[in-house]
Amino acid sequence: MELLCLEMDTIIRARPDPNLLCDDRVLQSLLTIEERFLPQYSYFKGVQKDIQPFMRRMVATWMLEVCEEQKCEEEVFPLAMNYLDRFLAVVPTKKCNLQLLGAVCMFLASKLKETRPLTAEKLCIYTDNSIRPQELLEWELVVLGKLKWNLAAVTPNDFIEHIVRRLPLPKDKLALIRKHVQTFIALCATDFRFAMYPPSMIATGSVGAAICGLQLDSADQSQWGDSLTDLLAKITNTEVDVLKACQEQIERVLVSSLREGRQQQQQQQTQRGPSGKGLDELDQSSTPTDVRDVNL
Amino acid sequence: MCRVMALSKRILSSLGNGPARRVLFGPVDREQLKVEYQAALQKDLEEASQRWGFDFFSDKPLESSDFQWEGVPGTKVPLLYRSCPDIGQAGGQKAARAAVSPKEGKMGSRQSRKENIPRTPERCTSYNLEKLEKTPERRRNTGLKRKQTNITDFYQAKRRVVGMPLKSGE
Repeated sequence: MELLCLEMDTIIRARPDPNLLCDDRVLQSLLTIEERFLPQYSYFKGVQKDIQPFMRRMVATWMLEVCEEQKCEEEVFPLAMNYLDRFLAVVPTKKCNLQLLGAVCMFLASKLKETRPLTAEKLCIYTDNSIRPQELLEWELVVLGKLKWNLAAVTPNDFIEHIVRRLPLPKDKLALIRKHVQTFIALCATDFRFAMYPPSMIATGSVGAAICGLQLDSADQSQWGDSLTDLLAKITNTEVDVLKACQEQIERVLVSSLREGRQQQQQQQTQRGPSGKGLDELDQSSTPTDVRDVNL
Repeated sequence: MCRVMALSKRILSSLGNGPARRVLFGPVDREQLKVEYQAALQKDLEEASQRWGFDFFSDKPLESSDFQWEGVPGTKVPLLYRSCPDIGQAGGQKAARAAVSPKEGKMGSRQSRKENIPRTPERCTSYNLEKLEKTPERRRNTGLKRKQTNITDFYQAKRRVVGMPLKSGE
């Protein structure tokens, strides 16, 4: 029999600050500055010769797994991907160094956002020791230089509370909605097609997708007045059509990612022999469940 | 049962031994990595030299420069910009720094909204010098070493005044 000790030191975190969340100026400022932190080029069409879009996806998936395993704060992964994209937009990089870059970006994002950041040693272990802490630290400096030390980028996560609290949502569902939104945001960060979208649009689209996915929008039509999309578009000054397209794109990515996850599971199961029942559960659920439990 | 398995999996993976531990794109060429790292740092420094008209290798202003550099004795520089906290005893000879001012009318005062423009210059200009002189006292007591001064320390203080041209860095 195994004895597992589940005690963990508690992580000290600040409570949500109503002074920040309820002040309209904060949202407006976020909207004003967010574009400054977007990668400037679609780098697969110019800067990068060795790196293909699927490789970005590979490294992103790996980074997400590491962040999940290490229980990083939610914004660490999207922020790290922002660093990665901004770096790749200016520096031609070889594919064999891409994982190092991903580790460096997580290292930086974690230091910026967490009270107990990921250590260099831990990150190196996750690369199966293919890089050394010394190399990670050296490249940290290079990446910082290329990012011009501008690390406090706006991420989609910064918008979640601002959007959610402006919507008439049932209190008891808020935690679930947040969780879904965060999942969608992470999903978007793994997909290069979203890399140049403003974070507010990704956040708004993700909130829309989450509410639709949980079918909270159809439960009581009257409470919305305008349609959900109109309301969302107003909050972040996004055009309705653009927002709709974004939300649909998110939903498509979710579907294909769920399908991939299912195929992977099936493959694993045929390899291991028939013993699972998780698949049926998956098929039955029409609402998007927690994507991270399914795939990624 | 399932939950216990999931739990132990989670605990294993918290040690970095889960499936997330893997090499993605084959082995890393260490020698090559080192070379590239050196080259990248070198290039950064060269770019900074061009940008600031200052040769950071030989610590001298460049001939062709948009800036006029002026030597300032270390003792006149706020402690923030000195290399080490013991400057008081050492008399500050080591910390001779240059002050920079823009050459007349070369650039105009183009304000940029690009991300590479730090937007908090007030913080630097409003420093009370006396206060700054005092901070290292505390530092010395705690035995902490001050980080070596870097040219980036100057960026914030001076950038707004200078009004650099847009760089298509990012």
